[in-house]
This record gives sequence, C-alpha cells and structure tokens, in this order.
Amino acid sequence: MTAAGISLRPGPATARRMARVAAAGRLLRLELKRNAVPYVLPLLAAAFYFDTVRTADGFPPVWTLRASVIGDHMLFEFSAFAAGLAAWAGSRERRRKTLDMAATTPRAAWARLSVTLAGTLCWLLLALLAGVAVLYIQTALQATWGGPPLWPVFVGAAGVTAVTMIGFTCGVVFPGRFTAPLVAIGVLVLYQTGLRQALGVTSSSGTYALLSPANAPPSVDAGVYYHLAPDVPITQVMFMGGIAIALLGVLGLVAALRQPASAGGLRSLRAALARSDGWLLRGVAVILVACGVAASWTAFALAGTAKPDATGGWQIPALHSAASDHPMPVTQDCTSSGFGVCVHPAFSFYLHDLAAALDPVAAEIAGLPGAPTRAEEVASVSGGQDVQSGISGNPPVFEFTAERVGSMFGQFYGIPDPVGWREGFQQGLLDAFLTGRPPHAGTVPIQLGAAQQAVEDALLTTAGTNLSATIGTMLQNGQPVAGPPAAVSAAHRFATLSAGARHAWLAAHLAALRTGKITLAQIP
Amino acid sequence: MTTAEIVRPPAAPAGTTRRIPAGIRLTWLHLRSRRVPAGVLGLAVCGGVLRVALHWHWAFNSGPYAQQLPMIIEAGAAAVIVVAAHSLFGETERSAGRWLPYLRLFAAAGMCGLAIALLQLGAAGEGLNEGVLVLSRNVIGITGIGLLCSLVTGGLLAWTLPMGYLVFCQYALLQAWTAPWTWPVRPPADRGAWICACAVFTAGLLLFTIRGPRTFLSDPS
Repeated sequence: MTAAGISLRPGPATARRMARVAAAGRLLRLELKRNAVPYVLPLLAAAFYFDTVRTADGFPPVWTLRASVIGDHMLFEFSAFAAGLAAWAGSRERRRKTLDMAATTPRAAWARLSVTLAGTLCWLLLALLAGVAVLYIQTALQATWGGPPLWPVFVGAAGVTAVTMIGFTCGVVFPGRFTAPLVAIGVLVLYQTGLRQALGVTSSSGTYALLSPANAPPSVDAGVYYHLAPDVPITQVMFMGGIAIALLGVLGLVAALRQPASAGGLRSLRAALARSDGWLLRGVAVILVACGVAASWTAFALAGTAKPDATGGWQIPALHSAASDHPMPVTQDCTSSGFGVCVHPAFSFYLHDLAAALDPVAAEIAGLPGAPTRAEEVASVSGGQDVQSGISGNPPVFEFTAERVGSMFGQFYGIPDPVGWREGFQQGLLDAFLTGRPPHAGTVPIQLGAAQQAVEDALLTTAGTNLSATIGTMLQNGQPVAGPPAAVSAAHRFATLSAGARHAWLAAHLAALRTGKITLAQIP
Repeated sequence: MTTAEIVRPPAAPAGTTRRIPAGIRLTWLHLRSRRVPAGVLGLAVCGGVLRVALHWHWAFNSGPYAQQLPMIIEAGAAAVIVVAAHSLFGETERSAGRWLPYLRLFAAAGMCGLAIALLQLGAAGEGLNEGVLVLSRNVIGITGIGLLCSLVTGGLLAWTLPMGYLVFCQYALLQAWTAPWTWPVRPPADRGAWICACAVFTAGLLLFTIRGPRTFLSDPS
C-alpha cells in the first residue's frame, strides 16, 4: 500500500455518508421503477392532448394567453391523477400488509415514506414539465414576440406538489380502497370551487379566491404592453408550497401518532411525543408543520389585500414592484403601403388580414374631415378600465385594441369566421368615423343613430362587404335586430350613388350626421 | 371430566342460534368482502358533497361550467362503485361456487341504483343543472366505463379510466361538443346519449359479470 492510496481512501464518516446517499439513490431508483404513475401516463397524455393542447391551439400564439392553460386546464387533469395515484402510493404499505415488516428496517418511517413520495412526485413533475415543454415549443414556433413566462410553470409545479402531498398523506393516514378515488374527486371539487370563486372575485367581495390557480383566461394582450406583475403567482406558490411543507411535516408525525391512536387517549399522545427515540425527527416534523402553516397563512393574508391594478390585473401592495406598471418599450409592426395599419409585434400575424379589411373602407372615406390616415392598436386596458376604439389626434388615427373594436370584442382571439372578422373591423372604423368619438375608457361601446347606421351600411356595401343579409340591421342591447324599412331603403339609396356623389354629400353633411341632425329621409 | 364433555361442541353464544338463510348470508359475505358497506358510505358522502355544493353555490347555475361540478361528483360515485368490485380472494373465489357472477351483477347494478338514489337525495330541493336524468345517465355511463376498466386494471385501479373520461368531458363541455358518446354534454332527453351510456354500461356489466375484475397474484389478500 502506498501513501497515495491511503490519502485517497475516504474516511469512515465520509464513507458512511456516501453509502447513505447511494442507498437513498438506489431506493429512489427502485421506487421510480415500481411506481404506478408511468402506467397512467398514456391516459394522462391523452387527457393533456384533448384538454390542454387543443384549448391552447384555440388561442392566438401569445405567450401569456397560451401559458394560462397550465393553471386552467393542465392542473385540472394532473390533479385528478396526481391525488389518486399519490393516495394509492401512500396506502401501499397497509395495502400490502407490510407495515410491520417495514417497521423493522433501520430507517425512520418518515424516510421510507419520503422515498415513495419522491418517486411519485418525480414522475408527476416530470410529466408536467414535459407537457409544458410541448406547449411552449409549439408556442415558440408560432409566436412573433416575447418569451415563455415562468410563473405559470412555478404555479403548476406547486399545484401538482400540493395535490400529490394531499393525496399521499390521505393514503398514509386513511389507507383503504376508496381513498384514492375519493381523494381525487375531493381535489377536483376543490379545484372547481376555487374556479367558481375566482371567476367572481371583486375587490368588494374579498380577494381570497385569487389563491386559486384556476381562473378565466387573461385578456389577449395581457403581458404585451405591460409586464405581468408576479404578485398573485407568488402568493399562490407560497400558499400551495406551505400546504405541501406542512403535510410533509404531518407525514413525519404520522408514525408517532399511529400508536396513540391504537392505544387511545391524550395521555398516549403526550407519551409518544415525549419518547426519547427519534425526538430530532419529530422536532423537525413539528417545525415543518409550523413553517408550512405560517407560509400558507401569510399567503392567505396577502391575498386578502389584493386590489385591481391599472393594467387589468391584481396587485398585492406588500409584493408589488412599481416597475411592472410602466409600459414596455416596443416598436409596432406597420404596413408600408396603402392605409397604414400598425399592431404590436405580438400580433403581427394579423397585420395583413387587418390591412386587407381596413383598406377598402379607408379608401371610401379618404380625404373627408376627421377621416383617419392610419389605424393603430393600443393597450386594451387603461387605468383599470377597458378602452373602446375611436379616432383621435392630428392627423387623425383610428385607435383600436386587441379586445375591442367598435361593438365587437375578442377580435384578436382568432379568426373563426373570416367574413365576420373583417366586417367587425370595418364597422369599428366607420362607427368611430361617423360618430367622431375618440377612444375612451369605459364599458359603453359606440352606438349609432338610424341615419348613421344607414350610411355605414351603404359604405360597407360599396367597400365590398356583402351586407345583403344584414343591411339595415341595428344593434339593441348587443343583439342585431332588423332596422326600420326606411333605414334599409336609405342605405340602398346611398349605396347606389356614385362614389363622387357620396363623397361630396358626406363632405357637406358629415358634421350634421355626427351630431345626429340628419334624418333617414335626408339621405340622398 | 368425561370424554363426552370434551367431544361435545361448545354451546353457541347467545344470539347466534337463529338460522340465517344461506342465500342472504352468502350475499352479505360477498358484499362485505367487497367493502360494499364502506362503499355505500362513500356514495352517501358524494350525495352530501353534492348537496353542500348546490346549497352553497359552489357550482355555476347556468352556462358551460354549470355541469362540471355535478359531473365530478357523479364520476366520484361511479369510481366508488367500480373500486368496490375488487375481490379480496382473487382467483380462489372463482372455484368456490356458481353464484359469483350473479352476486357480481347484483352488487354492481344495486350500487349503481343506490348511487343514483343517494345523489338525487342530495340534490333534492336544490337546483341541479339538467336534473336527475343527466345525473342518472352520467352515473350509469361512467360506471360502465369503470367496469370495463376493471377487466384490465383490476378493481382497485378501475377509477383511473373514469377520471380520464371525466377530464375529457370537461373539455367537451366547454367546447360544446355534440357527439353522443360525450353524454354528459348532451341534453337530458337526448336519445343518442342515452343509447351510448346504456350500451357502455351494459357491455361493462355483462363482461364484469362473466369475467369479473382482473386479479393479480400481487393483489392484497
């Protein structure tokens, strides 16, 4: 033996530590091999495809919107299986009747259970991250601006971890054949109840429901004009992480609490806690429970202080950073010819469709007083209120948002009906032009009078939009209703005029038309 | 002490001398071996949760979300029924007599009927979206899926496929699917949905009756 060989050999303490780590690694590997989760992965993958992927495909490729399906859909399907399978894994020792045999091993019950839990959790988190990767890669291939948001992933991982801990603890404490399905159903009921409360949350009704990871999809341009404040995701992660940590501590106490449960009485409980063996583990477990409860309680209290912010989200004053209230500097994508149309780069895939829709209508009104020279997309929320489209500035610019154009909303969520989509933008532009209303915050959309509606219908017809089925229709309470025959007749009359005559009449009567002083009979 | 005293069987304890018909005793033992009493308790819990959810407005009153929470609870009841299909005795029980298929049939069908009754009891007096018809159809259909699943996975894991179907139907609800095999989405009197749900239940019940849930050597005894 050489001196070099002696110096390289690990000391007894190091060797013991390495052996312990190696043993834990082997146990985890065994657990990963024998876990039930991989057998359910095909079913989970099918649910993920049908629910999450197809829902995300229905959204435009905007990162924030696509990432919202992690909490709204993915967590739902993962909760169903994570809770049930974790309960199944947690009740294994009792189900296999190996409780007494396993109790003779030289490791604490907590360590034994932790390995089983770690194996289950590893599989579930791996599946979650694989799903997120699929979702994000698909979005990355289609998105024209921005990058993957990480907070939804953290919230999803915290949710899966909390649900797994709930299921596992229930499996350990109440081992039985009905535990797994009942825990899975219980978690889903909690999820849906949280969603129900979150959808109706207002600052006056209490904001605790913001702790629910499930919520309505954000507005289509959320995170596009302003940074998304991470306040709410932070409290959600803190809340669910606190639950997970507290339940991990409960698992440590379960072994000690089982014996007094069989003996009965508070005296036995005190005796179990006062036993000298394993006091360190029990102490750590109690500290974990305390830390978990404190974290969850803090998150709960923080959620109660939330208030609406100027960008349409929620801010929690104790966590809020003023930097996220500033708009993000960005150069808009614009068309280079014809009527100028500018949109945020996140929506540049709509640019040519939008220009094709607005060009003919803009040509019909070009040169008239107040006619816009270009159209520009702006943020859909300002000062906490929805922004309605309108014309402002000098030279005049038609400003619209991704959410609202005229009386239409959700225009940038996709183009399910190309004709209706095109018509919506054209109407929005003419609504603003014929009323002369500037963009404004609030919920009241532009309403046209009968003469204005007739002129709009005529201009749309001459711009190439087929209004034969809808000409003369008016909106009442958001529903299209047949307009009076006089309006239909006036629209037809005006549409049959030559372009020059229409233009001349509008130039002369536009101011009166905007103020509502023109009647249907006065339209040539 | 004489030999006769030793050979004589001990006197039966008081209260056990009454003869119980063998059929009833067999049925009771079958139900107990499947933990059916605990399963009935589970079904009652489902009914209670449904009542609480409806009473405290945990569910939406209308719209595509309105059916979600009742459907989850109905799927829970169906999962309880199919998990109760698991036998403690496995293969050995199959050679014990000819009544086993009938017992399986009546246990599953009876629990299904009981589940519908308990859930309806839970919803009584509250505004259950789409009413008892959709509730019954969901319980029947999802139980059929679970019974079919038990032929492959065994009774203890037979809840997994109903969970998968439940998750899929959540998507179908929000997307307003109209295919009859997504019966939770269809209106109460929809004939196609009823045919699909009943066909799945009948197929599941028949195969379950004939073959029984799959048993594994590693099944707990």
